[in-house]
Amino acid sequence: MSLVQNVQEFVREANRISDIKELQVLLEGTVRELGFDYFALVHHVNIYQTRGEVVYLFDFPPAWTELVDRKGYFTDDPVHVACQKSATPFTWADVPRLITLTTRQEEMLQAAKTAGLGGGFTVPIHVPGEYTGSCTFSTRFGREVPLASLPAAHYVGSFAFEAARRVVQRMAAKKGGRLKGAARPKLTRRQFDCVVLAGRGKSDKDIAQILGIADQTVHQHMEDAKRRYDVATRMQLIVRALFDSQLAFADLMN
Amino acid sequence: MVDVVTANNRHKFSGMVDAMHTDRKRIFVDSLKWDIPVVDGKFEIDQFDNADAVYLLALDAKKETHLGSVRLLPSTKPHLLGDVFPMLCDQGVPRGEDIWEITRLCTAPHLRGREAWLARSYLAVGMVEFALLYGINKYTCVAETSWLSSIMAVGWECEPLGLPQELNGETVGALVINITPATLQLFRMKMGWRHPVLELDAIAKAA
Repeated sequence: MSLVQNVQEFVREANRISDIKELQVLLEGTVRELGFDYFALVHHVNIYQTRGEVVYLFDFPPAWTELVDRKGYFTDDPVHVACQKSATPFTWADVPRLITLTTRQEEMLQAAKTAGLGGGFTVPIHVPGEYTGSCTFSTRFGREVPLASLPAAHYVGSFAFEAARRVVQRMAAKKGGRLKGAARPKLTRRQFDCVVLAGRGKSDKDIAQILGIADQTVHQHMEDAKRRYDVATRMQLIVRALFDSQLAFADLMN
Repeated sequence: MVDVVTANNRHKFSGMVDAMHTDRKRIFVDSLKWDIPVVDGKFEIDQFDNADAVYLLALDAKKETHLGSVRLLPSTKPHLLGDVFPMLCDQGVPRGEDIWEITRLCTAPHLRGREAWLARSYLAVGMVEFALLYGINKYTCVAETSWLSSIMAVGWECEPLGLPQELNGETVGALVINITPATLQLFRMKMGWRHPVLELDAIAKAA
């Protein structure tokens, strides 16, 4: 089977999986066909502090995962930080080109080798309104990254992440939640206007003048908007509205 | 709502079709810097904007503002994947009465946040409704891989037609998207509405 056919077969199966264990097994096989040894499919959040719809699936040497847990490498993993700087996949050798490494991050890259990892290839996953994620493929120490497989690994990473994302969302929906799109709070046109202006640093008084409405009405719109998001402060409101893409950064910078 | 504009009813939408070409120029040429033809310095129009093209136009209630649009081309006629990017398909370009191509999907550049999300959602559901009404089982498209996760996150069931390739400095790939009645159900549930978005009156006249 050619690499393309490998990928197409993987995607067809990944589109049909119903639980995360099936994806794990599928990936373990495909990763080896592509010439890698390990993989990690994760949203970049601290798994211990976050509940809900988060992708967290990996097959790495235990020596490495124990070290990541013990040292809290999850918070500033250089590969995850580099994902914020790149829309396209990169190898671990590219990481110093994407970000300036801290001393601790240099230690991490060294520690990965000691724990048995060779090279790696990471596909950043950016979906508006969601945590950044990534799919990483890695070789064991002493094996080179299989360059000829990278385009195939790129697609396997993207499609695997989406398959995992769907399973996780379905599980969350079954637990009583609704699908993400429907659960998102919606602001009225006027609430939105007020939040945008607040995000540009305007006071209620300024906003009232700009929109030609009473101070008290502006206050009420902001309070209602906070209630919709179930947050206490204006800052939280703006951040949440940005995070779920109701607001764009461009709205705040005009 | 979303209007279906074909060669038959295009005269009734000439203002909005011009607005679409103007917005397409702003988005694809001015912002995304695609190297594609511009007509009269302000319209993005290429060889596939012909009588075979069907446009889905998301318009405001008065039908005076272009909010977003997409161009659909039959795979049995000249189209982008078949004529410009066939090398992206490993096992040949898929062609058939039930296969159409998605190109130039965009939302108007003045839309922000929730309005842009709404226009995109209307177009997504509109494309599924159009497929089911016109007997289309698969859409094909050429996509930059940096958009792939966002495209799939909408809910489209995508499969790659070949491996991604670097062309003119961008990594692009060809995809096929399977459409079934379940797709419509899923999309409507995700968007949180039940009503159809295509203007049924316009469809009758467009046929």
